[in-house]
Amino acid sequence: MIAFTGVSLIYPTSTKTILEDLTFTVAEGELVLVMGSTGSGKSSLLRLVNGLVPHHTGGILAGDISINGISTREVKPGGFAHLVGIVGQNPLNGFVTDIVEEELAFGMETLNIAPDVMRKRVEEVLDLLSLAHLRSRSIATLSGGEQQRVAIGSALVMHPKILVLDEPTSALDPIAAEEVLSIIHRLVHDLGLTVIISEHKLERVIQFADRIIHIKGDGRTLIGTPQEVLKSSDIAPPIIELARALNLPDISLSVRDMRRVTENLRGELSKIEIPPVPRKTHATPGVVIIDKVSHSYGATPALREISLTMSAGEIVAIMGRNGAGKSSLLRSIAGILKVSRGGITVCEINPFNLQGNDRTKTIGFIPQEPSDLLYGQSVLAECRAADGDNKIMEGETFALLEKLVPGISGQTHPRDLSEGQRLALALSVVLSAKPKVLILDEPTRGLDYAAKNSLIATLREFAATGCTILVATHDVELVAELATRTIFIADGDVVADGPTIDVLLSSPSFAPQVAKIMSPAPWLTVKDVVAAIFTTR
Amino acid sequence: MWAGAIAIGIAKASSVLLALLTVGVVAIVVRTKSENAPWARSFQWSLKIGIWVIAIRTFTGILIGVPSAGRTLFTIPQIPLPTWMPGIRIGGVVTAERLIATAHDGIMLAAIIALLGAAASLASPHRLLRSLPVMVYEFGVAVVIATSVLPQLVTSSARIREAQRLRGQNNRGLQGWRRLALPLLEDALARSLDLAAAMDARGYGFSRKRSKYRANSWRIAEYILCVSAVVAVLYPFLAVAIAVIALVAVPSQKVIAQEVEVIA
Repeated sequence: MIAFTGVSLIYPTSTKTILEDLTFTVAEGELVLVMGSTGSGKSSLLRLVNGLVPHHTGGILAGDISINGISTREVKPGGFAHLVGIVGQNPLNGFVTDIVEEELAFGMETLNIAPDVMRKRVEEVLDLLSLAHLRSRSIATLSGGEQQRVAIGSALVMHPKILVLDEPTSALDPIAAEEVLSIIHRLVHDLGLTVIISEHKLERVIQFADRIIHIKGDGRTLIGTPQEVLKSSDIAPPIIELARALNLPDISLSVRDMRRVTENLRGELSKIEIPPVPRKTHATPGVVIIDKVSHSYGATPALREISLTMSAGEIVAIMGRNGAGKSSLLRSIAGILKVSRGGITVCEINPFNLQGNDRTKTIGFIPQEPSDLLYGQSVLAECRAADGDNKIMEGETFALLEKLVPGISGQTHPRDLSEGQRLALALSVVLSAKPKVLILDEPTRGLDYAAKNSLIATLREFAATGCTILVATHDVELVAELATRTIFIADGDVVADGPTIDVLLSSPSFAPQVAKIMSPAPWLTVKDVVAAIFTTR
Repeated sequence: MWAGAIAIGIAKASSVLLALLTVGVVAIVVRTKSENAPWARSFQWSLKIGIWVIAIRTFTGILIGVPSAGRTLFTIPQIPLPTWMPGIRIGGVVTAERLIATAHDGIMLAAIIALLGAAASLASPHRLLRSLPVMVYEFGVAVVIATSVLPQLVTSSARIREAQRLRGQNNRGLQGWRRLALPLLEDALARSLDLAAAMDARGYGFSRKRSKYRANSWRIAEYILCVSAVVAVLYPFLAVAIAVIALVAVPSQKVIAQEVEVIA
């Protein structure tokens, strides 16, 4: 179906090769996962499949790519529209129309397909992706998971033989992600669709993958079955880390297999006396106090009578479905959103009234797009501006950045940084003001495991200095590693609030992989398990 | 299209009163008919840009120009220019006539910008694209990318300002604009490229013919609006009245998108 022969790719402005002499074939009905650290060229590889690279982006391509016998050299991307469906990283940017049904029909209209055929296919896809009740909704009003499904649907109506998905679940909550992935899994098995998918959150997809292409970032690539590739790779989801930590001879990819393999071990470990989770006994004064806060956008309520208190040194994770009210809560604490009812105080001040330096010294906020905060012409200029704004010693911000991610050149333009480096830069700019409360909105989107680990280490260290950290995220593994307390929000209400371990273990769909494998033992991370084993020996 | 026609009408009529009246009526229409969509705020922004245009136009009009006769209001110091530039001067006598003329031109320009902004806030540029025939494909893509930039700039600038306010930045003045401009342009460019790539991948413009998923039905109101737009070019005063009545009477804003089809 797809054949790459000796493919090398280099962009004219870049000095390093993205891909070098890559040769592989993908058979019909295969699900291939592309993995690699951020900025390694995953997206480029995906876009090579229908010729968007280099036809649309430029770049020098050597070798040949043939899709169903047609070379991408000879045909423009439009010529593959009936053969390859592609869903980009941010589907919202790719929508051409406003209404779900029209969006589904758009591709077919451009290919001049007869109206009665179109009607039939649209109905089919609406049913297949359970979108029927959304057919006449405006796309802008849909939730992230629904938008992702519409994007997949508009690719599927063309009846493509190949579906290419670029990080389809990075913006989705665990349940919506599972929904999308199970649909893809079904398509592969029922229709024999060939799927190429790239993803950072490997724990979500490896169990579905037939093969993995690992892009090393220096032009080298490794191709093989998940077991082969993951055994030695530096990028590994918790399930693999656990297998390595336990010295298991074989690598299992799903929770089910892993539970079978670890049956004896779990029996042994169940005899260990588990010390009770240390609980806060004395009440510490609240840094962030939220008192009966309600807010609504027009007629739709976003927050309903929420009361919470967060104290110094706490790392609070806020979880919940897309559109549950997480962002509204964060924005109201940060003082951007004026709530309709109730009161919020941060360090005994109403955050809405904070201005200038008082604000940066009290609240630090990292938005979903960290680049929104950056405007400098180079990393160094950015750091100097932060030094000046916060009236600290020159070079202090850069020193902080150097500690977070060593080896960034000061002359680099912030735009040319990788996702993780950009987050680190925004973080060091915000942290250089030493805020009392740090708020992060979905920080791990597009981050690989290495970048995530360095983020976790930084935040932990910062919390230890007595700062309160709030993180809104869909990433359960991050919550398991990082948060001391988890708040679960649904439909504007606080549904669960307590120590992370209690909240995560009480809901199976939000439980991290390790907890699912080791259940009923209360361990969330590989580290917890290793520590427990260590105490027995 | 309707906005374009009215704009031409205004330019032809060249009357300040009419221009201001039209902008007023359009403002009411935008207020009542606009959806709660990301692009709905384009009108307010176009008004702001319009005010800037008036200010700059008047200022340069006072500063630079050919000497003209009239009642002298005040005199500002004149900068001597080389003799090979006769007829042009910087500074000097400011007459009432010249002040009025420049202000008049400025208001005209501002009114036209406001009208186009109103059109952008009423209909999504994406809708416009769907209505374009394939013959003008390359042109169409360029137009859509261009028109979709303004509403996108508005949405992302709100987001970025918010983020930077949280960084403790005061976004007023020249410095504020510089800090806003960089992430803003980056964002808009990335989005437009994404859209173009997505359209390319879905075969837009590949086939010379296009089919229609659903035929658009026409009603009397839509006919009136189209006729009014054509008349607007010819008889500004009359047409503005009819067009405004028609637009207020039409319950759906589908009209604007459909009109584009007619013209196309």
